Amino acid sequence: MISLRLVNARAGGFRLTDVTFDVSDGGYGVVIGPAGAGKTTLLETIAGVTRATSGHIVLRGEDVTSLGPERRRLGIVYQHAYLFPHLTVRENVEYGAVSADDAADAADRFGVGGLYDRAVHSLSGGERQLVAIARAIAARPEVLLLDEPFSALDPRTRGTTRRQLRATYFERGFTVLQVTHDFAEAGVLGDVAIVLDQGRVVQKGDPADVFHRPVSPYIADFLGVENVFAGTARPIRTEAPDWRDAAKNQFAELPVAFTTGGLTFYALGDVVPGPTHAVIRAEEVSLSVELSMSSMQNQFRGRIVEIVPAGALSKVTVEASGTLIVAAVTARSVRELSLDVGREIVAGFKATAVHLC
Amino acid sequence: MASVIIAVVASLFLLFLVGPVAGLVGAGGARGIASLGTDAELRQSLLLTALTATTATVLGILGGTPVAYVLARRTFRGKALLAAIMDLPLVIPHPVAGIALLLVLGRGSALGSALYAVGLRVAGSPTGIICAMLFVSAPLYVSAARESFARVDARFEAVARTLGDDAWRAFRRVTLPLSARGLTAAAIVMWARAVSEFGAIVILTYNPKVASVLSYDRFTAFGLQEALPVAAVLVLLALVPLAALRALRRDESPAAGAAGLR
Repeated sequence: MISLRLVNARAGGFRLTDVTFDVSDGGYGVVIGPAGAGKTTLLETIAGVTRATSGHIVLRGEDVTSLGPERRRLGIVYQHAYLFPHLTVRENVEYGAVSADDAADAADRFGVGGLYDRAVHSLSGGERQLVAIARAIAARPEVLLLDEPFSALDPRTRGTTRRQLRATYFERGFTVLQVTHDFAEAGVLGDVAIVLDQGRVVQKGDPADVFHRPVSPYIADFLGVENVFAGTARPIRTEAPDWRDAAKNQFAELPVAFTTGGLTFYALGDVVPGPTHAVIRAEEVSLSVELSMSSMQNQFRGRIVEIVPAGALSKVTVEASGTLIVAAVTARSVRELSLDVGREIVAGFKATAVHLC
Repeated sequence: MASVIIAVVASLFLLFLVGPVAGLVGAGGARGIASLGTDAELRQSLLLTALTATTATVLGILGGTPVAYVLARRTFRGKALLAAIMDLPLVIPHPVAGIALLLVLGRGSALGSALYAVGLRVAGSPTGIICAMLFVSAPLYVSAARESFARVDARFEAVARTLGDDAWRAFRRVTLPLSARGLTAAAIVMWARAVSEFGAIVILTYNPKVASVLSYDRFTAFGLQEALPVAAVLVLLALVPLAALRALRRDESPAAGAAGLR
């Protein structure tokens, strides 16, 4: 278990302020945040490399705040590997290994046994990273701190390494805290997500919840949410949406109407009336040729202004009453709906897809 | 045209630096080497110089390495002041440094008389030479060693600590090997500076004579011709650490740079 209570620390220009969170025993926590948020400082403070100026760090139920790094029974893997350049790969892996068998096992797991007699400077960036992970695992840590460990790996090796690390994690049962800037990775790996900004925890919880319900437009923007609207929220009781006469009375249950530009969204939310933001993930926005009778509470007719292919999906930007709405649709949908720039289209999303923050 | 002017100015500058030394070695080098076989005072003087410089360097390493490490790694109140104090002997005229040392370590001082009482004479002894050498040359070691430590990323140590090393073990197994080349170069620079010291030594300990004092002594007592062989041998002696430094730098591998060691 990793438990931080009101931890403050300072390292160079980075500062942690009242950081508090828990990662359960054997849990997998992910730390996300923009560059300069203090993510590495957080890991180094937990590791004891950077001293906490106040607060408490508890690992496995033991308060380790005043202990040196060597007594915290943890491992750290940095983004830039930090292999000891005066040692061979074997000597690196065996550096802190509990036994020769542990070193050999870790080398085998991460496929670095074949590099054993190589000098560190002869390795590629990806190989260095694999050796660094093997070196940390060989020491059998009870807590593993990972600072963007996959960033130097090519996509294929990244997938293999991630799976192997995951398998080792399940087998050994250690607790992991990983820094990543890739929220997709965080969603795949993590039990708990901690969003750090300017040294403060600004949101924490289930990664899916953080992903879908960011607490601020800043976090939404950082998490790559395409649709972030500034506007005004007002509670509604009997009002109905004014965009479709046929559906006039069926929305009395919806508590909030959110107005931005020339549009009004309907959403579920518990917000104070007044200025706020609405966040809608592009994946939650669907496109149709005509307005449809469906459970989709918000439908807006507009015109396509841009189509950007993005992997398996295409990001389609629709302008409706002067407001831009981005939808992520499959290539097949683009073909079947004959989507093209200038085409009139209806962008729709459910009230539950609108997150007010 | 500009490049011609630069070439001429640079050539004149180099000639100014190299000319006197080359002239000295040319005029007295052969006689100096020959006199090593016949001039017992010169031999003793060179041996004394080498021994005292080596002792001062060892003391400089023992005392200066922790200071350099702390200055490179730690942040604390008064760090800038400490760094400035460490550099102070570099900017004090060396005879003034000798006077300061005499004031503190001479028999007229409390410390000097106390040391004398326990049988340790500083002024007028090899100990005084070592003190003078240490005072004027240790700051060079500390400064270069500090740079050397600073070039080794502290995260190497951090990783070693998380792999089970305590602070001393991480220093010994990681930081020291990675900074060894720089520390060796720092020690060579300190040794070379100690060998060439004159001003502080001549105040604190005129006798026994180190080589620099001997060359001065021969010059004032017997004139230029008698001083030449001693001076030329001193120049040749100074070439040894310079050659060692060059060899160290030539051996620096690209890997050291890739690992953030430069």
